[in-house]
Amino acid sequence: MFFKIAINNVKRSFKDYTIYFLTLTLAVCIFYSFNSINSQNSILELNKNANFISTLNKLIAGTSVFVSFILGGLIIYANKILIKKRKKELGLYMTLGMPKSKISKILIFETLLIGALSLVAGILLGIIVSQGLSLLVANILSVDLNKYKFIISLNAVGKSVIYFGLIYILVMIFNQFTISKFKLIDMLNAAKKNEEVKLKNSFVSLIIFATSVTLLVTAYARILKTGLSAGNAELSVTVVMGVMGTLLFFFSLSNFFIHIVQKNKRIYLKDINIFVLRQINNKINTNFLSMTVICLMMFITIALLFAAFDLKRTIDKNLEESTPFDASAFLVVNNDNEDPKVNDIEEYLNKINFTFGNHEKKSFYSEFKLNLTIEELLSEYLNNQERIDLQNNYLDGAVSAVKISDYNSIIQLKGQEPLDLQENEVLIVSNYALVNDALPEYMENENIVHIEDKAYKIKNDYPIEENVKSTGGNKFFYFIIPDNFDGSLQTEFTSFNVMYDNKSFEKSEEKFSTLFNNLSKDKYRDISPALVIGSTREQIEDKENGFAATIVFIGLFLGLIFIISSAAVMALQQLSDASDSLERYKSLKKIGVTEKLINKAILRQSLIYFLVPLSLAVIHSIVGISAVNEIFNFHYQSIIVSSLLLFIIYGAYFYATYIGVKNIVKNSN
Amino acid sequence: MQNILSVEKIEKYYGNKGNITKAIDNISFKVNQGEFLGIMGPSGSGKTTLLNCISTIDNITTGNIIINTQDITALKKKALEEFRRDELGFIFQDFNLLDTLTAYENIALALTIQRREVREIDKLIKDVARKLEITEMLGKFPFQMSGGQKQRVACARAIVTEPSLILADEPTGALDSKSSRLLLDSFEKLNKEFHSTILMVTHDSFTASYANRILFIKDGRIFTELIRGNETRKEFFSKIIEVVTLLGGDVGNVL
Repeated sequence: MFFKIAINNVKRSFKDYTIYFLTLTLAVCIFYSFNSINSQNSILELNKNANFISTLNKLIAGTSVFVSFILGGLIIYANKILIKKRKKELGLYMTLGMPKSKISKILIFETLLIGALSLVAGILLGIIVSQGLSLLVANILSVDLNKYKFIISLNAVGKSVIYFGLIYILVMIFNQFTISKFKLIDMLNAAKKNEEVKLKNSFVSLIIFATSVTLLVTAYARILKTGLSAGNAELSVTVVMGVMGTLLFFFSLSNFFIHIVQKNKRIYLKDINIFVLRQINNKINTNFLSMTVICLMMFITIALLFAAFDLKRTIDKNLEESTPFDASAFLVVNNDNEDPKVNDIEEYLNKINFTFGNHEKKSFYSEFKLNLTIEELLSEYLNNQERIDLQNNYLDGAVSAVKISDYNSIIQLKGQEPLDLQENEVLIVSNYALVNDALPEYMENENIVHIEDKAYKIKNDYPIEENVKSTGGNKFFYFIIPDNFDGSLQTEFTSFNVMYDNKSFEKSEEKFSTLFNNLSKDKYRDISPALVIGSTREQIEDKENGFAATIVFIGLFLGLIFIISSAAVMALQQLSDASDSLERYKSLKKIGVTEKLINKAILRQSLIYFLVPLSLAVIHSIVGISAVNEIFNFHYQSIIVSSLLLFIIYGAYFYATYIGVKNIVKNSN
Repeated sequence: MQNILSVEKIEKYYGNKGNITKAIDNISFKVNQGEFLGIMGPSGSGKTTLLNCISTIDNITTGNIIINTQDITALKKKALEEFRRDELGFIFQDFNLLDTLTAYENIALALTIQRREVREIDKLIKDVARKLEITEMLGKFPFQMSGGQKQRVACARAIVTEPSLILADEPTGALDSKSSRLLLDSFEKLNKEFHSTILMVTHDSFTASYANRILFIKDGRIFTELIRGNETRKEFFSKIIEVVTLLGGDVGNVL
């Protein structure tokens, strides 16, 4: 009998439940998709490195726990709203003599029913979406798609069932708790209760609003000035200021806003704007806390999505510049050692019996340290922030240098023409300009560099942005000096670069990657004490791609969950508010407000309500992203892709809300 | 005197074939400009249905309702909405004030939906507030006012648009006797000094005694009519009581 009531309730209030149900389904779907990622072929193909897969697994597992906390909070909150909406109905059961225990039994059945339905629907949807996701990710990360296969991950199914099962049990317990606190009289009169406006005094609200804006502007200024490289204490202060500012902003916004609009009689006294304004005022004022949380969540989402979509592109661009050779290695010169043979990489390779094949083009060269640091060189052009950046990128030491004959042999490997360099000239090779204005400014303004009191002409006006060896996404900075440079030179590394022949590419790759793996395991230490480090381009790419993939996954996962959580909360708040405001809409109709005007009012109300937290989040994001601009070089594509994702989901929720509210009001008479 | 409302042979049926309830059964009457008409009757007599039909919220089965020379039974939905907005003022038992709006805003709403000029709105509200002595209440929210004050604000909202006809449905139903008297004094003032035409439905004899003329309805038909003429309110009140007593008993025994 109670089961029957529960089923009928779910059927009857399907309209109220639609958004709740869809959100649950979507959440399960996203949860499944990301947890099934490790069994997707394209991902396995991406990286054979067991280490990467296990790191990814651990990260996704950790994120899943975090996400389930967020979803748990969301579901409990949504459930609370839905129960509040049904207070009158539950009160009616109670007046008819139904004990609370039976009522909670009905609610348990309902939760079970909705939970089971959403789990099944979500997993089915997830199985489809995860295939698409793996294609998308494979596409982003340029993986071979031939090995794509349709896959159902039982592991992920189990995990989704367990996590969501736990959340639903939690919801049931929470419902019991809510019901036990209900008083019959409040339940029957629930519809008539008004929300209390917390802040009434206009002067106080003005002051609070001014404070919040000041806090936000100060926080913005601080983060823009220091970026993320400021000390932890400084950064925490900025974050606290930002959060407090946001909180106070929403606390005082509506009152401040209403005073402003009241001054403008043309807007204030048009149509039923008075009503719309008061409605929003009421709502934002009561929900300022959830508004703040939503705004901050959206801010994180936008930042995450941007970062996720952008990282790959940034890495690709960096890789192209920083890995011009198929393989590179260097020997760290120990200047205390008398025997020059120990410090020569060519001798070293002979000792360990490594020989180059006929088709492997190679060039040996040496890197020196000059008696000059970058800081000294650029001192007039560096600001404080850039100085800190230099230190963070380990570029604050002595300038590295390569002789022109070595440099020419390096670039000839790539098929470029050798360059001429006079005795009193130098070249600058660096990608430092990408992150910093100091170097290009310096090169534009200065033609002469003094190294140990001798003047050299800088031959290029803009740095050559291709590295002299293949390394990861690091920044590099080299002087190319004449062969007969007569200043002090200290040998830093002896190195070689290799280009494979296309025909024997895979064989060579195999050979060099084995060599470098052995080197990193110190296999030849007993033959020679020298430290040699090397990597092939593929090794570097794999490492960077794995990193990018991890960030993209986690960013997408969290971002999607955050968006649907925020949008769902907004939607449910609006819908429950519509039910609470039914009396008001009825009054409006009675005094002769046309349906068209009412619909217009609903549209404006929903739109403003959805846009307010989003707008502040977008402003936060713009500031935040400019602050970390040095880490990422943002591209238009990533901005478009991530905004599109955000607006589609958020927009869909907005539209569903608008239609829902309209229906509630329309069906009221 | 000009005819504001004329109700001609209207009937309103509920239900379907074989099971028809006649909520209104052939009622006709006229209301002249400046008249204060009361409609009385026991529960279920059809007085609220009658009011709903006149106020265009409900539609009738047969007959004609003509307000200010316009036959409202022939109007389309959109025209009806506009007619209701421009020609009628409503006062309800439960006030129907918007609790989120101040008194000023509640009154303004009636004007803004008519798209009145911004400057005009402020002046009209201040005028009507003075008439009903609620000037100092304009900045308050409904929850800060007493029932009587709320009803007077609702009253101001109803008359601020200067409608042809004010319809009041049990206006004192939710008020204590002191507030009721204050409200009815305002009604009397509106009627006498500003010549508003008022049609009021009530089942309270004291409230009804403020009207010029009273229609008694029973089982969907007009039972009798009382005209106050030059009587004092007290005399009129005892007459009303007599009829009410009659209505309460079995009519067959009396006649």
